[in-house]
Amino acid sequence: MLKIKDLVSGYGSVQILNGANMKVDNQSIVALLGGNGTGKSTILKACSGIIRTWKGSINFNGEDIQNLAPHKIVEKGLVQVTQGKDVFPAMTVLENLRLGGFVLKSNKELKDNIEKVFNYFPKLNERKSQLAATLSGGELQMLCIGRGLMSNPKMIMLDEPSAALAPQIVLDIFKNINKIRQDGLTVLVVEQNVRMALLLADYGYVIKDGVINVEGDSKKLMYDESVKDSYLGGGGTTANV
Amino acid sequence: MFKGFKLTRKVENSLMLLFTLIFLGYISLSPDMNLESLKGVLIIGVTVGIIYGLVAVGISLIYTGLDVVNFSHGEFFMLGAFTGLTVYNFLIDGELIYAIFPEAYGWVGYVIGLFFAFVVMGLFGVLIERVFLRPLTKKGGGYTVAGMGIIICGFGLSVVLLNLAYIIWNPTAHPFRAELGLPINIGGVTLPMTYLWMMVTGFVVATALYFFLSKTKMGLGVRAVAHSKVISNLVGINVPLYISIIFGIACALAGLAGTLVGPTYQVVVYMGYIILLKAFASAVVGGFGSLPGAIVGGFTVGLFETSCAFFISGSHKDAYAFLLMIVVLLIKPTGFFGVQVKMKA
Repeated sequence: MLKIKDLVSGYGSVQILNGANMKVDNQSIVALLGGNGTGKSTILKACSGIIRTWKGSINFNGEDIQNLAPHKIVEKGLVQVTQGKDVFPAMTVLENLRLGGFVLKSNKELKDNIEKVFNYFPKLNERKSQLAATLSGGELQMLCIGRGLMSNPKMIMLDEPSAALAPQIVLDIFKNINKIRQDGLTVLVVEQNVRMALLLADYGYVIKDGVINVEGDSKKLMYDESVKDSYLGGGGTTANV
Repeated sequence: MFKGFKLTRKVENSLMLLFTLIFLGYISLSPDMNLESLKGVLIIGVTVGIIYGLVAVGISLIYTGLDVVNFSHGEFFMLGAFTGLTVYNFLIDGELIYAIFPEAYGWVGYVIGLFFAFVVMGLFGVLIERVFLRPLTKKGGGYTVAGMGIIICGFGLSVVLLNLAYIIWNPTAHPFRAELGLPINIGGVTLPMTYLWMMVTGFVVATALYFFLSKTKMGLGVRAVAHSKVISNLVGINVPLYISIIFGIACALAGLAGTLVGPTYQVVVYMGYIILLKAFASAVVGGFGSLPGAIVGGFTVGLFETSCAFFISGSHKDAYAFLLMIVVLLIKPTGFFGVQVKMKA
């Protein structure tokens, strides 16, 4: 579904990615792991067109999408879901969801999709006319994922859905991500929470210094010593393993 | 000076109230104070205020959309006035409307003038944004952040547009003789029809803008882009297009305001300069970047200015808006509506 080949990119003149290669199969959940500042989010941003691809290619559903305008990429069905703090705080939950379906043409589709999101996250239904700023951290993350689902995507890319959330809520959200996959979507999840991410995913990539360091079946990666190594960077204590 | 003294919301509001009371007390001692003059000041203040509000809304819109203060906004006001005047004169002198509406040719021509000022300035704004501002914003790495460069560009644009108006309409003052009928009497105050037009059109347009922003899909997109370009990109909004739309709406409002103001005085190439500063003061008073704030700020500045000019001294009329701005910045730096909704955690 998504093929990233020799991706080189960065911010301004700072190069972050040094030729990353990845592949995400149809209807799978793939985890992209790595410590801070290794380029996980940069890959997502390049895929969604927020930053330019310097070299290499990003292929989605058989089409090259590198350096396409971000809204064109959303129209093609590849949606990035940001961390929970990236909602529109001064708008209601419903307005936030409606924005998620901005590329939809018909009103009926919009209504159906809102129903669909409320099915995944009933909490949002209770809070639909509240301002997004009044939601809790978990609800914000649900809102972000829900907003990502609004445009009928074929694949969603989640940027650290577990960031700064209580374990119970993380579990709930991960269960929902699994449900989303069972409904036919492909999921790429970027995570710091290695164990949770590998429990959820079928396949995992570990990124280090802008290139993919280790990859493999998630069951295998779970016990791989080199994962721990590349994560901890040789003696650090930051990972939540 | 005062150790441990902090400007909390409560202190700010009490100080604002105190200032208002002192001001009201001062003007009530004026020898000109009576019910008649108070009514007149209120009506004129609100009318002038809605014009400041319309221009200030544009400045706030551009500020939220492009993260930049558009210092050439007054020129769009001026060009709008000229557009309206030219269209009106063309229609009236050519006696194009007189044949169809012999009874009401004046206001039909004026409405067409207003419409043209709105549309032409909107399109012109889009053109300016696309051709001159877009390359600069691209330099910032995205569709925002151009920093000082774009502000200087705004000043430069202002000079260029001013000189463009010179070439086309020459520097003399043009009288705008809109034949809108005899002055009417509202509650004992005799008001020229132009003021009534300003008030009614201003309120209608402000209401329409409110419904556009809160109820339509495009308005939702405009608000989203105003909040964050990155998230708007990610939900699939064509951000460059929406930035053009924002700029176009803002310029269209300024152009409309220009044609509304035109008949009260004269149309002259310098008219944009002072309105820019006063609209800027209105936006600051209402809370910079807030659209309801801009309208409320416009009313506040309009009322303050008119009452000061009437009750204190008319010769310093243009200074009062800035006096109010300074007072608000000292006491309540966020303005009336400047507090954005903050995220928890």
